[in-house]
Amino acid sequence: MNNQKTGWILLLPALFLLFLVFLYPISRAFVLSLFTENLGTQLEPVFSGLANYQRMVGDGRFWQSLNNTAIFTVISVSLELVLGLCIALVLNQSFFGRGIVRTIAIIPWALPTSIMGLAWAWIFNDRFGVANDILQRFGLIETGINWLGEPGLAMVAIIIADVWKTTPFISIILLAGLQSISQDLYEAHKIDGANPWQSFYQITLPLLMPQIMVALLFRFAQAFGIFDLVQVMTGGGPAGSTETVSIYIYSTVMRYLDFGYGAALVVATFMILITTVALVAWLFNSYRFKS
Amino acid sequence: MLFWGSLMKLKKISHRKLTNFVWAILGFFLAFLALFFQVPGFSQQPVTIYLLVRALEAQQLQPLAQQFNQQHPEIQLELIEAPNDTNRVEDLYTASFLLGNSPYDLVFMDIVWTPKFAAAGWLKDLSGYLSPEELEQFLPGDIQGGMYQGKLYRAPFRSDAGMLYYRHDLLEKAGYDPPETFDQLITISQDLQQQGLSEWGYVWQGKQYEGLSAMFVEILQGNGAFWVNPETLEVGLDQENAIAAVKFLQQTLTTKISPPGVTTYAEEETRRLFQNGKTAFLRNWPYVYGLALDSPIAGKYSIKPMVHAENQPSGACQGGWGFGISATSKNPDAAWEVIQFFMKQESQKQFVLANGYVPSLKSLFNDPEIVAKYSHYPELLTVLESPALRPPIPQYAQASDILQRYLSAAITNTMSPEIAMKKAAAETRNLLAVSK
Repeated sequence: MNNQKTGWILLLPALFLLFLVFLYPISRAFVLSLFTENLGTQLEPVFSGLANYQRMVGDGRFWQSLNNTAIFTVISVSLELVLGLCIALVLNQSFFGRGIVRTIAIIPWALPTSIMGLAWAWIFNDRFGVANDILQRFGLIETGINWLGEPGLAMVAIIIADVWKTTPFISIILLAGLQSISQDLYEAHKIDGANPWQSFYQITLPLLMPQIMVALLFRFAQAFGIFDLVQVMTGGGPAGSTETVSIYIYSTVMRYLDFGYGAALVVATFMILITTVALVAWLFNSYRFKS
Repeated sequence: MLFWGSLMKLKKISHRKLTNFVWAILGFFLAFLALFFQVPGFSQQPVTIYLLVRALEAQQLQPLAQQFNQQHPEIQLELIEAPNDTNRVEDLYTASFLLGNSPYDLVFMDIVWTPKFAAAGWLKDLSGYLSPEELEQFLPGDIQGGMYQGKLYRAPFRSDAGMLYYRHDLLEKAGYDPPETFDQLITISQDLQQQGLSEWGYVWQGKQYEGLSAMFVEILQGNGAFWVNPETLEVGLDQENAIAAVKFLQQTLTTKISPPGVTTYAEEETRRLFQNGKTAFLRNWPYVYGLALDSPIAGKYSIKPMVHAENQPSGACQGGWGFGISATSKNPDAAWEVIQFFMKQESQKQFVLANGYVPSLKSLFNDPEIVAKYSHYPELLTVLESPALRPPIPQYAQASDILQRYLSAAITNTMSPEIAMKKAAAETRNLLAVSK
């Protein structure tokens, strides 16, 4: 009993911090989402119940941005996972200069996103960009592609930039997981007559699952809230085809000064994110218990 | 024993340190006092007025700012350079106002920011500073664009308006007068294309961006339709004549007088097509006139007010920039001095002659020196006399984004004009109703 009390007391600072940085802002956003506070009300909050949420249902732009965000998240995170796993497997082998290669491999992740976003915007520039230059030299295209000016291609460009930027993050986490797998397992498996593919599927993948889950959840949450890269590279255009939810929220709050509706968008996005994470965690748990 | 010894040592050191510390404090105190005695001296220094402007325009305004500072020793005008992207400047102003105490005394505003900034209470009411006679001297659209709920919040500086550019040489060859109506524009274009005189007929801005809304208000006015009535907040986008306006744009594509790529063009793309002689007609802003003088079509083009439907008025989308005073400015009177300086005839004239912008003072359009340099300014005045305003409502940015989405969908054939305009109108109504 006494121990429990001490435990609670020791937890207090952490709980207080959590309250300060998570609970308070989220509940504040939730409360604000029940008010109309915009230019029409002279920026004074006026209680309006669920009106903001009603408006969201009929707001085509919100659904489009949600759709864009989902496409971006699913494609970029899957690519990052596959590439990150490959890189991690390579970096886990012992070869000459491994330390240096490992350091170089995480550089993209360590660089500031907005600056790299600018660099990528130049790489994909239709007239002076390296991407077009390379394609032209190989004779794959005749005239420069307007990467950031075409709806589909702009999304491709952003996904490529994001994959380049955050694959190292996944590979570092997976590398840590790989290093914790004992070599004895592989040796025993080999003696039993398994080939490398079989070891990969029967030992590496299942034992790496916890790290994969952690990496996935981190990346999913980050990708879902992507802002800086998009803002710098396309600003959400062309024609709103790369507008993610956070860009839309930014416009709603900063450009339209529609604080109530912006808060409702934040709450909705938060709910979607939480539900998805909970769902994935639940699926993973049931998978683990089964096997 | 050892312990005590070290403690004594420590005490000694701390005593010496303490003395140093006291001296340091005294020194700081004296320095602080000296600073205070300086204060009366400070107040005799000139007041500084800060203005945030896009870097490019800041350079153009610099000569005028220097003149002002020479003539007014008691006021120091300081231009702060902002990014060249207009939206970024708006964001910077917004952020500074949201923080509550804007560091900028003056706000250099695009016409569409006025209602938003005014409704948010960030601007000072300027109505008292200008008499009706003084206002009379400016273009009506520029004054209207500076008003919100009957009060003036933005003093006009330079104007801007959309218009029709046409190749008078081609029209003469084919024996046509410049078109007045939408239908004439289409038939003349088709004929010129058939005769092989011009590759395309009419080029306009169809990309999904603010320029699309600006262009569309002209077509709306030319059809006798409206977007949002600023007084009643009635939305007219789904009315028959507004749908007719969308159908006109669609028609330019189906009759092939406009290139299919027009739905991705902004001002610059369309200007290049016109300058390279690829099209007979162009809808654009005044800046094209000066640039096209250095092109193969120099001397072969003229301007006129935008075409319209039979028995309807022509419309020129009103643009332009002016000055507001930030509500939190500590020196509003000094800020007004600056505005007055920029508004007056000599300053505007100098600015127009140096940079080719359009003045907001009516008298300057027929000024001999200006006409000698820009011979088309008298015609420009007739264009500017039929302004079409983008709805002066605080939620304009949002309303414009809604319109752009659906209009873009209609002209790229992903939605029929009727459905697109119905949806746009519904979303706009929703926006205005929720905001009310």
